[in-house]
Amino acid sequence: MKKVLSFFKSWEFFLICLLAVTCAIFELKDQANLAAGLAKKDVFNFVNIVRSLRPYLLYAFMTLGMMLILALGDMDISVGAIATLSVVMLAIVYRFFTQSGMNNMLAFVLSILACLVTGVLCGGVNGFLVTRFKELFPMIITLATQLFFRGFSYLLIGGETITFKDDTFALLKELNSLIDLGWVKLPVMIPIFLAFAAVFFVWLHLTSGGRKVFAIGTNPTTARYSGVQVDRIKMICYVIAGLMSAVTGIFFVGATSSSVKADIMDGYHMYAIAAAILGGFSTDGGKGSVIGAVLSLFIFGILKIGLGTLFGFPDSSVNLSVGVILILSVLIPNISQDIKNANRVRKQRAQTAMQKA
Amino acid sequence: MKKTLALVLVALFLVAGVAMAEAKPGDGLYIGVVYKQSGNAYFQASVEGIQKAADELGFTFEHDGPDDGSNDGAIRIIENYITKGVDALIISANDPDALVDVCTQAMEEGIKVISYDAEVSYPGRDLDVQPSSAKNIGLTLLESIAKSVDYEGQIAIVSAMATAPNQNLWISFIEEELEANEAYANLEYLGVVYGDDEYQKSFDETQALLNQYPDLKGLIVPTTVGAPAVAKCIQDAGRDVKVTGLTLASDMKTFIDAGICDETFLWNPIDLGYVASYAAVSLINGDITGAVGDAVNAGDYALTVEAKDDSGATILYLNKLNVFNTDTVNDWVDIL
Repeated sequence: MKKVLSFFKSWEFFLICLLAVTCAIFELKDQANLAAGLAKKDVFNFVNIVRSLRPYLLYAFMTLGMMLILALGDMDISVGAIATLSVVMLAIVYRFFTQSGMNNMLAFVLSILACLVTGVLCGGVNGFLVTRFKELFPMIITLATQLFFRGFSYLLIGGETITFKDDTFALLKELNSLIDLGWVKLPVMIPIFLAFAAVFFVWLHLTSGGRKVFAIGTNPTTARYSGVQVDRIKMICYVIAGLMSAVTGIFFVGATSSSVKADIMDGYHMYAIAAAILGGFSTDGGKGSVIGAVLSLFIFGILKIGLGTLFGFPDSSVNLSVGVILILSVLIPNISQDIKNANRVRKQRAQTAMQKA
Repeated sequence: MKKTLALVLVALFLVAGVAMAEAKPGDGLYIGVVYKQSGNAYFQASVEGIQKAADELGFTFEHDGPDDGSNDGAIRIIENYITKGVDALIISANDPDALVDVCTQAMEEGIKVISYDAEVSYPGRDLDVQPSSAKNIGLTLLESIAKSVDYEGQIAIVSAMATAPNQNLWISFIEEELEANEAYANLEYLGVVYGDDEYQKSFDETQALLNQYPDLKGLIVPTTVGAPAVAKCIQDAGRDVKVTGLTLASDMKTFIDAGICDETFLWNPIDLGYVASYAAVSLINGDITGAVGDAVNAGDYALTVEAKDDSGATILYLNKLNVFNTDTVNDWVDIL
């Protein structure tokens, strides 16, 4: 019974409510649009939402990595640039091997490997710098590496757009495809993402390794004295964040018909941070839940789709909703805490007044 | 009371009747327009043309572009249009290949896809609408310079890079026409120099031409970067040499006013949007399929769909360039 009650007090429950309220408002607006003849057809329904979620799930994989960094109490703003550099490596390696006459399939596998390895290496660089130079804020370090990684991408391919039109490379497009289930066309991306999220959930919430991450975020000194290998865990988290960025990059290339440029995925780290923060992770570290982050990704996706399709917001301004929700998500817990504190103080004062009397 | 009701009903029927009589081919159609970047004057001008077509044909439309000109931004916008149930998409793509998949999926949903200005690669579109064929550009520029120099005297070309494919194609049509057309018999063609699309190089090459040929009468500059450099060089030298070319209105206004250029040319984004809209409505209504030989009539334009190459891709050329001269240049300086 207590467990049930605590669920209703949890952040995840708040997010589910937020999702429900958002959907309800959009559904009402949809009906109103239809009634007023502003829309030609029912826009806001399950089938449509599921199909058009894809562009908003591209940074979902990055968000999973970002959760770990935030749980540590750090911030990694280089993840977008890591994703770009990884897919630039993917393109370069594939072009090199296919031009040198290698079998397409082998070149494809090697280039995917190169992409993932690049992500791991970039994450490793971040991890090394963060654990080696503790006097620097991780945010400053990753700001520097972000500029370096993106600059390096430009150095490698300049302003060129690399595109491959062969059937082997086109396999990446399958990552952006829809599975026709009859009643709904499900993007392949969603089950893959949920599988990744499940792995993160198990590791972060159900194993000692995940508990150590939160322990470090709560208090690194205590964690170290308790025998947690802080640097090692941090290193692992940064490497995973890098790897997930590379995965994001692969999905991005699939979504954009295998077009690779050095300026892609600029600003994606901000979406990833926003989703993780709404999911209950905090820059102070030590808290957050994978389920919350997953819910947040869907909330942001649905919010942006709804504002764009029902309220006629231009694409460039739908992000304002992210800002509003984010501020609210930080304010609501703070305000409720303030109210609780104020109540306690009032009670105490009343008690002391009684005692004096 | 009953009388009023009856009157109202009659009035309603009359209105409905008039509306029926004026049924337009685009009535009830809904079109989504996606351009390269929001806030770009060139594409705002193209929307003006689409609005004009909408007024004539009766369709409704929405327009948007990614603020950062990114491909994923364009994909988000297209996905939203698919969700809203548009009948057609009119797209100008930042990258010809990046939108092919999302456009193919739109076509599977029964949406017609027209690219304009900057193409979406085949098979990601039903039809591509472009301002001008290479041949038309070459012939227009040649005719313009011939008129400026009264069909006689020495002329030359200041091009971009020696390897620039578009420029070389246009120049080949100019050279062909010089040989073939009797009207140009008195023109002495000196050949091509290359300014590499750099201001200083274009300026220096022009200076060298002026020194070498004291009787030079006219220059064709088929590149927007080179044209202001060439005109400036002639202005500084104080020579009576006419310039024409593909230029931005804002770059050339001073030289057009100074009489160095009688006229220069570029695309007309308004007409481009206008014709693309007519093509879109014809495609939705099934009047055309985007196949070679299909006719598109839009205002003064009577156009025919051509094959782009042998891949099956088709293209519609407006083949009418936008003329900048002393009368028109002021209307365009803020747009092009």
